[in-house]
Amino acid sequence: MSRFFRRRKFCRFTAEGVTEIDYKDLDTLKQYVSETGKIVPSRITGTKAKYQRQLATAVKRARYLALLPYTDAHH
Amino acid sequence: MRHYEVVFMVHPDQSEQVPGMIERYSNVITKDGGTVHRLEDWGRRQLAYHINKIHKAHYVLMNVEASNEAMEELTTTFRYNDAVIRNLVIRRDEPALEESLIMKAEREDKERKARYQERQDNDARRAAAEAPAEEAAPEPVADEPEAATEETTEE
Repeated sequence: MSRFFRRRKFCRFTAEGVTEIDYKDLDTLKQYVSETGKIVPSRITGTKAKYQRQLATAVKRARYLALLPYTDAHH
Repeated sequence: MRHYEVVFMVHPDQSEQVPGMIERYSNVITKDGGTVHRLEDWGRRQLAYHINKIHKAHYVLMNVEASNEAMEELTTTFRYNDAVIRNLVIRRDEPALEESLIMKAEREDKERKARYQERQDNDARRAAAEAPAEEAAPEPVADEPEAATEETTEE
């Protein structure tokens, strides 16, 4: 019963024609990270596989440099 | 010669050594024909999580074109320098010349804060001018073009 209207997912990076996702672009990365610090799966965000891979490395680099948290349980 | 992007984090207590470190590392790169294309000092930033009970670190970003030997030397100096908490070296295809997004965000944040402060000051001045009614009319304060600067966030 999918009577609810669900907004169509779309890949922002494809739409904008991004060439590379930068790990320094924290505002963008934060949109693809959950409150607990997890990377949001592409099945939820609709990001294309190519960009999801880039996103994952970007988030991981940002985490390593303590620009993003690994989890919300950091004391 | 290859392009690299280097970020290193310095212990906040050793922050004053940063200019010297930048100088030394730049020399390492340039002495055998490399070039530093972009150099950014992000200053002391809050860490997203604590590293060795440190809450802040001084970040430096360098985009360089350097030989393999120079990079090797650089990474070993990072390793043996206790002031460097962490470092990240990644290979790039081309030099990055424009301001990085972190610096941009920081600058915009600073500008926003300055604008906010200015607005607060203006409000305070206006309030002060209005309170004593016999005083001269408050000077017309030009409002900031707020709508233009604020970005619309899209879902």
